[in-house]
Amino acid sequence: MNSSRSVVGKNLHKVDGYKLVTGRPAFTDDIHIPGMLYGKILPSPHAHARIKHIDTSRAKNLPGVRAVLTYKDVPRVPHTTAGQSWPEPSPYDTYLLDSKMRLVGDRVAAVAAESRAIADEALRLIEVEYEILPSILEIEVAMLEGAPVIHDEPDSTGIHDARHNVAGHILKEIGNVEEGFRESDLVIEHEYRTQRQQHCAIEPHVTISWLDSDDRLVIRTSTQVPYHTRRQVAMILQLPVGRVHVIKPRIGGGFGGKQEMVLEDICGALALATRRPVKIEYTREEEFYMARSRHPQILTIKMGFKRDGTLVANKMSVLATTGAYGSHANTVQGNTGSKVLPIYRTPNMRFECNVVYTNTPVAGAFRGYGCPQGYFAQESVMDEAAHKLGIDPVELRKKNMIRLGDIDALSAELGEGKKGLPRHIRSCGLPECLDRGAAAIDWVRKRKEYSEAALSSRRHDSHLRRGVGVACSMQGSGIAGVDWAAASLKLNEDGSFNLQVGAADLGTGADTVLAQIGAETLGVTLDKMIVYSGDTDFTPFDVGAYASSTTIISGGAVKKAAEKVRAEILRIASKMLETPADNLTCRDNMVVTKCECKKSVSMTDLAYYAMYKEKVQVMENASHWNTDSPPPFCAQFAEVEVDRETGLIRVLHLVTAVDLGVAINPMQAEGQSEGAVAQSLGYGLTEEMVLDEFGRVINPSFLDYKMLGPKDMPKLTTILVETEEPLGPYGAKSISEIPINAPAPAVANAVFHAIGVRFHRLPIRPEDVLLGLREKRAC
Amino acid sequence: MVDMLIMVTINGEAKRFSIAPGDLLLDVLRREAYFGVKRGCETGECGACTVLVNGKPINSCLMFGAQAEGTEILTIEGVAPDGKLDPIQTAFLDHGAVQCGFCTPGMILSARALLAGRPDPTEAEVREALAGNFCRCTGYLKPVEAVLAAAQANREAGLSGARTKSGRSRGQARKRQ
Amino acid sequence: MFDHIECFYRPGTLREALLLLRKLGKRGAIVAGATDIVTRADRSPRFFIDVTHLGLDFVRKNRRGCAIGAATTMMALEKSPITCRLAGGILAKAAATCGSIQNRNMATLGGNLANASPAADTAAVLLALDAQLVVDGSRRKRKIPLAEFYIGPHQTVLNGELIKEIVIPALPGGGRWGWSFQKLGRTETDIALVNAAAGLQADSRGRIKWARIALGAVGPMPLRARAAEKLLIGNALSEELLARAGEVAMGEVSPINDGRASANYRREMSAVLVRRALRECACHAGIPILD
Ligand SMILES: Cc1cc2nc3c(=O)[nH]c(=O)nc-3n(C[C@H](O)[C@H](O)[C@H](O)COP(=O)(O)OP(=O)(O)OC[C@H]3O[C@@H](n4cnc5c(N)ncnc54)[C@H](O)[C@@H]3O)c2cc1C
Ligand code: FES
Ligand code: FES
Repeated sequence: MNSSRSVVGKNLHKVDGYKLVTGRPAFTDDIHIPGMLYGKILPSPHAHARIKHIDTSRAKNLPGVRAVLTYKDVPRVPHTTAGQSWPEPSPYDTYLLDSKMRLVGDRVAAVAAESRAIADEALRLIEVEYEILPSILEIEVAMLEGAPVIHDEPDSTGIHDARHNVAGHILKEIGNVEEGFRESDLVIEHEYRTQRQQHCAIEPHVTISWLDSDDRLVIRTSTQVPYHTRRQVAMILQLPVGRVHVIKPRIGGGFGGKQEMVLEDICGALALATRRPVKIEYTREEEFYMARSRHPQILTIKMGFKRDGTLVANKMSVLATTGAYGSHANTVQGNTGSKVLPIYRTPNMRFECNVVYTNTPVAGAFRGYGCPQGYFAQESVMDEAAHKLGIDPVELRKKNMIRLGDIDALSAELGEGKKGLPRHIRSCGLPECLDRGAAAIDWVRKRKEYSEAALSSRRHDSHLRRGVGVACSMQGSGIAGVDWAAASLKLNEDGSFNLQVGAADLGTGADTVLAQIGAETLGVTLDKMIVYSGDTDFTPFDVGAYASSTTIISGGAVKKAAEKVRAEILRIASKMLETPADNLTCRDNMVVTKCECKKSVSMTDLAYYAMYKEKVQVMENASHWNTDSPPPFCAQFAEVEVDRETGLIRVLHLVTAVDLGVAINPMQAEGQSEGAVAQSLGYGLTEEMVLDEFGRVINPSFLDYKMLGPKDMPKLTTILVETEEPLGPYGAKSISEIPINAPAPAVANAVFHAIGVRFHRLPIRPEDVLLGLREKRAC
Repeated sequence: MVDMLIMVTINGEAKRFSIAPGDLLLDVLRREAYFGVKRGCETGECGACTVLVNGKPINSCLMFGAQAEGTEILTIEGVAPDGKLDPIQTAFLDHGAVQCGFCTPGMILSARALLAGRPDPTEAEVREALAGNFCRCTGYLKPVEAVLAAAQANREAGLSGARTKSGRSRGQARKRQ
Repeated sequence: MFDHIECFYRPGTLREALLLLRKLGKRGAIVAGATDIVTRADRSPRFFIDVTHLGLDFVRKNRRGCAIGAATTMMALEKSPITCRLAGGILAKAAATCGSIQNRNMATLGGNLANASPAADTAAVLLALDAQLVVDGSRRKRKIPLAEFYIGPHQTVLNGELIKEIVIPALPGGGRWGWSFQKLGRTETDIALVNAAAGLQADSRGRIKWARIALGAVGPMPLRARAAEKLLIGNALSEELLARAGEVAMGEVSPINDGRASANYRREMSAVLVRRALRECACHAGIPILD
């Protein structure tokens, strides 16, 4: 955007790129620690059961077994595994180990042994007698009177209505939707269902824990939230926070699945019990049982429109399940309302939701955080309304969309588990996203051409039909008033800077983007930034990598710290160059005068001067938070081809036009978008964790849980629509979540365009397509 | 169980490992600190554990260490032995094809095997070559672009080598005139 | 995961391998590419016998047909000029769909057949090609038609024997020939939800003289749709006949529900794939399809 910038806005290499392409040992598991034990968790075979009797003596006696822990051996501290700011808005309903099993895969016991094989053998030797309890697998029955109570323990807190298995409940209304519907010319109401999707980071959850030479508990772990994890582990293991040291090395992808304390507590407990280093790594199968997933939802949405397309009322009711534990239960579902409904203006909005417990895999944070579910429903209805009103789907969206200067009141009602702050729209590129996206997919021509093709009688062997569809979305950038971050910067002799941030780069490129912001502010090249991140001993606090907060919040902290360092540098340079500081500026690894005199001092000379003459360490830190969460905006267009004989949907082209504020590193921003699109297309077409009647996952492998591969991906077009966000560092908002929201509904809408069938359930499987076609033919 | 000895050449170095008969190559390599070989699924689906055995990409999680006896293995650690990046590695950086980097070693090795046999691959061939390497971060576009760019860079290096040679000889010819 | 394995044998001759097989009995398991062995749940074998050093990786052609060593990898089948030409290249095509390149570099033809998955992609093709397996046991050598090889999911008639080679008999001469292999997966790289292989021979007037239709993943084992084949014999192809053949084939399958697809869908897709396969055969052979 701003051509005077030399680092921000440039497609620079990732600061950690070299070590990643050369395969250097940079990830959690890439170390050998002498004497390290292998930890393993015994998973519950039952969806709902009580341990009547557990005998670990045979396991303990197995040579090579160093510890076997059950609920009898560990403190009972109610907590949540959700990595959120204190006090976490998720219920405290989870225990390190418990006598009650609430899902297949729940923790029965944990062992630490000299080898993986011995650990496996030890698990087989643990004798458990269960009292099997009736279980709840279906969302709809959880709240019924007489249903088994999943959280009947007295010590859990923060559960909305434990007796009816309701983890969380939200109801907010603005205006009066019923009146709105009475004024409407067209009212559309449908139920939509979304599935359980898993993150499938290629690196599984893995934690290594040991006691250092001061007997402090060190936890080296694949996490997005090192600081929250430190606090939570300390609480659960009853240690002072200062006795725990969490290290986040390079992370092999997270997508929200690592915004969660999945292994750190139990691994730490085993390290304490054995006083030996312990590693626990999930197998891929364990990931599917014991890690987290996207909350499945049943959404009922009702939208009322005037004949001219004006939206008059929008009502969404959600029944979601959080699985057996309430991790992120309220906040994910709150987002389904607060980040979805307000994209279209209407005086009447109502959002209601119940999040229920079921004896199923635990849901949690997942990129998009409640929005993909909501947008699937809302964007499907928008498409149907456009069709019924005879308005172009792009135009209907433009007519109703939120605009620059608007205040979104619903988000104020639906804050992070409590009342939040109203959202002001200070930057909005949505109209441009729609225009440029439509142009890129050749919207007008293809809408017409494919509609006509579907009508014209074609050769009888022509089983292929094409269509194009659109969907829009918005997200946030950090949690207003909650998320905060700190950064610290230190100058070295060679003019390089140590940038220390609590922010957790999990493969998103955060280290690079933060370094670019620092380098830009300090007028140095990117190679002068030495980034170290996500270590609770050596970097300052950061809430962690979630809620699209890193660029805007952590970046804001880096910018502030850099500005302070710059001021200090200018003060020193002013002495060295004998000119007032306000005549100086930092540029090209130097401090130079602004006036004609052209005096300058290199950052290196300045550093030596400061360190050995002035004897000061140029070093600053800064903290940052925002009172608002500026939304990025996105319009996505899909072109599909549907095989009417097999029901297979092939996506041919997917266009993403996204307003992300200013792109700090455009190439990385595109990459974030492309990856999000791939996940969303999987969400739309193939990805689903399927449970059997006992609550077991029947497809816990990549062979059966199908993600799209390189040969399945369509042509991707990514258009970065840059706007200048006043609240963001250098005008940046966020990018990593938003493009995951709308590809699935855009595909669903394109499929409707192609074959005239609407789908109300994800994923849209080939069988569903055939069934839909059959039903359409029947009527 | 009796331990067995295997002799393999890894990244050009002759090695001798004592392994258990049921050890998988993935475990052997990681135990020997070839940490660039990643564990993603252990069922042959994700390709994070890809190494080249006698030049061919295979999943080391589905190969027994014993089967590797006498073979030449290339891991990511051997791709830029003197620190000088392979054009594929450079292209991955230039094109933003690395996000978390967990799939990257496997992808680079698959790409390397492809380009060794097909210096001028089509996009479809690149996608086929990467089909066994799951990446949850990138959506595959940038890795595919990077491999195509690396192929081109390789060809140009070959060509420009030829060009400078012929250029030089032309210059010499001119001088002689 | 395989800590219980006591020894991994790498015999260099068939004789040695057979001796080991006899000596170890049920405790020994043959390993070829290991791609199924490692991922399968069966952890009972205590000894592995590697059969990839017995000279069984070959593709040969002679007047009587074609012989393929059991240890030939999918990648080799994909690339061999013989398999690429044989029967319209359908065996090469099927081999090329057996997972990723990494998998195909290890996976062998013998392993694919012996593993006896109903979805094995080469099995459907080899059924359509009337393939026979040459197997060797410690006592005797025998030839088993592939059609008689399977007795259930992951069960074969092998009894302490190993597959040496797969023989594809030469096809009757004359007429026009067409072949097809079809595979339906949820994504481009998937285990087949349904696969189908077909071959047609027509006389100069376009009447079908010889037909083979084989289907996979729609029953406990790969199967021939014999009734559908019969329907075609002696007839000229028409859209109606293709549709009928598809429907008849649908009656010959008995698929199951699993997480990948429902039985109904698989049944329906058998008809679609058979139709598509026959159409492709006709197209390649230049056999006209009447409207
Ligand atoms: C990720 C993945 C994807 C796959 N995709 C496909 C696919 O799309 N289509 C498909 O058909 N298959 C697929 N497979 C299955 C597998 O790769 C094939 O079945 C392969 O051909 C098996 O051969 P192998 O040499 O690896 O067998 P091994 O695992 O070595 O052996 C398999 C079985 O056959 C026996 N055996 C092997 N050789 C002989 C012999 N000569 N005589 C007697 N018994 C023998 C073994 O004892 C064992 O029981 C896939 C596998 C994986 C892991
Ligand atoms: S770990 Fe080997 S393929 Fe995934
Ligand atoms: S870059 Fe993360 S899995 Fe590929």
